Amino acid sequence: MSLLEIQNLTMRFGGLTAVNAVNIGIPEDKIVSLIGPNGAGKTTVFNAVTGIYDPAAGHIRFNEREVRRPFTKTTAAALAFVALVSAIGFAFAANIEPLWQTAITAHYRYLQPFAWTEAIMAVFAYFGDEFGLRFVVPSAIGALLGGGGAFIVWQRSRRAPEVAARAGIARTFQNIRLFSQMTVLDNVLLGMDTQLRSGFRHAALRLPSFWREQMEATRKALEILRFVGLEQEVNQLAENLAYGHQRRLEIARGLAMQPKLLLLDEPAAGMNPAEVSSLMQLIRKIRERGVTVFLIEHHMQVVMGISDHIAVLDHGEKIAEGTSTEVRRDPKVIEAYLGKSHEDVAPT
Amino acid sequence: MKARWQFHWLFLVIVAVVPLAELVLPQGWRIAALLRPIFIMAMLGLGLNILTGFTGILNLGVAAFMAVGAYSYAILTCDIYPFQLGFWSATGLTILVGLTVGLLLGLPTIRLRGDYLAIVTLGFGEIVQDVLKNIDTITKGTQGINPLPAPTFFGYAFRSEVYWPWYYLFLGCLALVVLLNRNLRRSRLGRAWISIREDELAAACMGVNTMQRKLVAFALGAAQCSLAGALWASFLGSTGEPGNYDFQVSIMALCIVIVGGMGNVAGVLLGALVVAGFNSIVLEDLTSFLKAHELISSSNVLTVPGNWKYMLFGLALILMMRFKPEGLLPSRQLKAELHPHEPRNPPSL
Repeated sequence: MSLLEIQNLTMRFGGLTAVNAVNIGIPEDKIVSLIGPNGAGKTTVFNAVTGIYDPAAGHIRFNEREVRRPFTKTTAAALAFVALVSAIGFAFAANIEPLWQTAITAHYRYLQPFAWTEAIMAVFAYFGDEFGLRFVVPSAIGALLGGGGAFIVWQRSRRAPEVAARAGIARTFQNIRLFSQMTVLDNVLLGMDTQLRSGFRHAALRLPSFWREQMEATRKALEILRFVGLEQEVNQLAENLAYGHQRRLEIARGLAMQPKLLLLDEPAAGMNPAEVSSLMQLIRKIRERGVTVFLIEHHMQVVMGISDHIAVLDHGEKIAEGTSTEVRRDPKVIEAYLGKSHEDVAPT
Repeated sequence: MKARWQFHWLFLVIVAVVPLAELVLPQGWRIAALLRPIFIMAMLGLGLNILTGFTGILNLGVAAFMAVGAYSYAILTCDIYPFQLGFWSATGLTILVGLTVGLLLGLPTIRLRGDYLAIVTLGFGEIVQDVLKNIDTITKGTQGINPLPAPTFFGYAFRSEVYWPWYYLFLGCLALVVLLNRNLRRSRLGRAWISIREDELAAACMGVNTMQRKLVAFALGAAQCSLAGALWASFLGSTGEPGNYDFQVSIMALCIVIVGGMGNVAGVLLGALVVAGFNSIVLEDLTSFLKAHELISSSNVLTVPGNWKYMLFGLALILMMRFKPEGLLPSRQLKAELHPHEPRNPPSL
């Protein structure tokens, strides 16, 4: 059974179909590569899997569940609450001055005790007048705006990056996207954010549990940094790292999320041969930790060397799939990379 | 481990002894009473710093939050209304009102990006002033709400002639705000804020709920600004007219954050000292000095230094942006560069 199941994925940008009906399955504990010429739609697939894009059609199933915010009772309750609050708020805001007049100004004499019950009764009397129109109309508008707005926002955030991240999908980016003004350690600690529990109260008051969690997280972060070989750079700013180290830090940050699946977008880009071979070792070690790896790579030495399975995209369509030997012999793949041979091209 | 100097604690300690030092200083040197507005501006700057410095949301309407704070404090305490709460409970409620208003502004607008959100906050600043001017049954329009009762502290009533109780009240509130900001900055929440500033998409891909964290920043920033507003109103004994909370106050807060060092609590304190100090001490003293020596006449507005201040603030912003965009006291992260191999204890939070 596949860990990640991409079914019939289609992505359109305006009139351009970037990815067309692609099916890929990523088995657990394997290294799967996605290759293809530039512009084939590989990164688009990654962006759809991690919730950055909302696909035009198709399903992305992770652990046999759709990567999407589910509609739960909590969601319904929250939407209802927002609608209710905005309904009441709107009713009061629309009538604020006359309400104040009837409830407060009319009942308060300078420095005399204030009759609170009468004031509250006056509010009800004010709203009860004219068949409650003063209340019903603005509160209906408020409920519509508040509830509807909240629903639209929720609907649009159903497929959000943090949903995929919380499900257990980590990723790196083709053009490195580290938090450049944060230290190496902070970058990794941020990756752990989903596992940390301390909230506002703990942080503001620095309760003992805050320190305990902080120490524990730092210990884990240092372990991960040692794993990728960055233990010398813990307090450096991310932007001051060497290029190869920045790539490793991105991987470390992803691993800190304790993902089940790690997506690597061209991890070997711009690396020298020595760095490439140590990267291959690192990727194998990552799989040994029980993390499935799905990678995009142009570096054929890496792809052929470590992949258990390879999928080939061209012009947004999957043209081949299989082990490295199978893919290497596939005429469609050769055509996509090298073009058709001269004799095969029909004269026009 | 080497103790690192933390400017914000140094600042608070030095400022705490200023009134004592004044006892031996000659009359003309006494500035402690003039420092009180600086504390308020520092609080306002720290509120803005959460938004602009930590989270990277440009807010051009913090004066509106200050107005909300001042007016809700005034309505809760002034004896022309039935509530008439004491200073402490009114301040507490004002902070809650500020939180709510921050959330209300944040909820519908937080999905906007960068400049667009800045424009929304700019508009919000103007709308709040107009609303306060126009619902005059409640806010007394352009008169402002006054007089406000002076705070009391365990039975001791503050008086406007004696400055030092106010001084320590504001200083204490500022110290609490500084502590809160520092603690939050070096926590999971602060890390999430900074990551959103650095790269929002990457932060979201790491599982950070960016929308929620930005809303928290909005609410906390607004709450701090409204606390500043409440203290300001209690200090003046009046809210003043709504026009007092105009765009220029927001820009001054922004000036404080940028000149001091965005995203650094200590930097904001220094910025408040420089910008607000320049405004309320240097310019005032210069004016009275020139007046005393008959170098200026009130008929020629160009000769009054106070009239130049907004031009000077603008100039300061331009010069800072050109020559030292990270501010006078940049965030401590930059210092981490200098000791790359030295593990910190506790490791950098």
